[in-house]
Amino acid sequence: MLCGALLGIAQAQAEHRDLKIDPIICNPGGDNARYSAMAGDMLASGIRHVVGCYTSSSRKEIIPLFEKADALLWYPSHYEGFESSSNVVYTGAVANQHLLPLVEYLLAHVGPKAFCVGSNYIWAWENNRILREAIGPNGGTVVAERYFPVGCTEFDQAIDAILAARPSFVFNTLIGESSYQFLRDLRVACGRRGINQAREIPVASCTLSEPELTAIGPGAVDGHITSSVYFSSLDTPENERFVKAYHAQFPEGPVASADAEATYLAARLLALAVAEAGTDEACAVKRAVALRAIMAPQGEVRIDAETMHAWLTPRIACSRPDGSFTILREARRPVQADPYLIRNSSRFGAVAIRPVLRVAS
Amino acid sequence: MTTHRLIQNFRRSQGLLWASSEFNADVLERTLLKLGVSLRRVESVSAAGLDPDRDIVFLDADQPINPAPLLLAGANLTAAPVIGIVGVEAPSRLKLLAEAGATAILRKPIQAGTVYSALFLGVNNHRRLKSAEARLAIGDRKRRGRRFLIKAVVALVQTRGLSDDDAYAELRRESMRRRLDLEEFCESLFQLDSHFPAEWPAGPALSSSHDRGGSAHAQDVDVGRRGGGDDDDSHRSRGRANQARSA
Repeated sequence: MLCGALLGIAQAQAEHRDLKIDPIICNPGGDNARYSAMAGDMLASGIRHVVGCYTSSSRKEIIPLFEKADALLWYPSHYEGFESSSNVVYTGAVANQHLLPLVEYLLAHVGPKAFCVGSNYIWAWENNRILREAIGPNGGTVVAERYFPVGCTEFDQAIDAILAARPSFVFNTLIGESSYQFLRDLRVACGRRGINQAREIPVASCTLSEPELTAIGPGAVDGHITSSVYFSSLDTPENERFVKAYHAQFPEGPVASADAEATYLAARLLALAVAEAGTDEACAVKRAVALRAIMAPQGEVRIDAETMHAWLTPRIACSRPDGSFTILREARRPVQADPYLIRNSSRFGAVAIRPVLRVAS
Repeated sequence: MTTHRLIQNFRRSQGLLWASSEFNADVLERTLLKLGVSLRRVESVSAAGLDPDRDIVFLDADQPINPAPLLLAGANLTAAPVIGIVGVEAPSRLKLLAEAGATAILRKPIQAGTVYSALFLGVNNHRRLKSAEARLAIGDRKRRGRRFLIKAVVALVQTRGLSDDDAYAELRRESMRRRLDLEEFCESLFQLDSHFPAEWPAGPALSSSHDRGGSAHAQDVDVGRRGGGDDDDSHRSRGRANQARSA
């Protein structure tokens, strides 16, 4: 994400020579208390625009500070939605831009039976709820939901349960090392039983990106189905330029990814809006950013004036042994974000479609 | 335990803001718009004019309001969900919201991040209370009718020499044939023109009295269709009646 932001700032500086962009970089190291302290210090020093945060918990931690200071947080990560702060510009995807297209694809091309594994926090809970409610009315079932502490790397029992249940696919909302270890262990366990895991029990998610494929390692990198708005293998002139510039600026990696692209376009949108507004005052910048669309590496992107979420282009892809993705499906045009799913869900929550088993350890 | 489906998408709902003109509704209105909910200021509210499936009342407790119009005549629950807006957390203001049947609150100044939660709780708590009130009404009606059931059982025991379990089973079968609630049927047995227990009152009997067996399954289906709340009791009663016959 930092690489994407720095590249976006460098390009924005080149495009808007009348602006002086001076990035201040803070690293809270994943500690929510430090997010709050550092954001407080930044705002107190007069900074009005901050690009960053990855987890929802870190974002929730600092939003009150931005609301109080009337500053803007440019949040570049995909997330579970159900939020729309007036002091946040959201450039990452929400459920109708990643999860719902994935559910549609899985039901049409993979099968109806889901087994969910996830890290025990809001990202997994909410995504599994949306999956459950989307899959049920379309003939699918969730046979089990298993939750693990963040950082857990012990999945033997869950994998035994998966092999016993033989779902059409595993829906993976594990994060970080947990996810990589799970993918490695599942591949090995399937191999022992003569099961072609990628073909017979594929793992689907909305989180897998190119740097994570590198972290999984060569034995289990391929065959995972992922929904995202950006893949570095996109064949567009804008993406070709982005990837080339990214590799030139960061030859040591990490490789370009959806998070890098979302942060890159957050920085570019910020610079564009400040330039257009002629001020860094939050209200003026918000008005300006909602008026313009930019050609991003993923295609056209614009910010919705009502929700301050981005119109993005959903895509489904499958990971390859070389650590990149093959695009399987993509939307014909950018899709408006629907953070509260008011246009993409029924009035009522589902009660009939419940997993056969739900375990949190 | 939730027994009904929760509403989580409030699109096309209408918020009715019952507040003084000084109340700044910008944040509330903007946030509701994102949720697909329109907001309209009202000077007063009439329960009869509220649509419980669409309207949500936002009631500012910091003004002198009589919440009585929110209630339909004879009802304990408001006709539509009420979300209280609280500025001063004084007992007199909170009492107003309690009397108005508020099922969620929003604190002043309203923050965008709290509106969806208030809507979710306000609407779904109201639905839960409404459902509970309906179940209570059914229970009350059955309780009031219970004395007629007891009278009918006693009459059959005394005149036909049945055990109390068999008398109950007989009454239950007859009520089911007539598609009547058991208590309601028993009450009809004691109308002035009734010749019970000498004979059953005339009614829409679906089969002859000699063909009363049917299948246990058919009886179960019938009970389910009525949606009565004492199915378990009914099963137990049938069990007791069968035991009595066996004995």
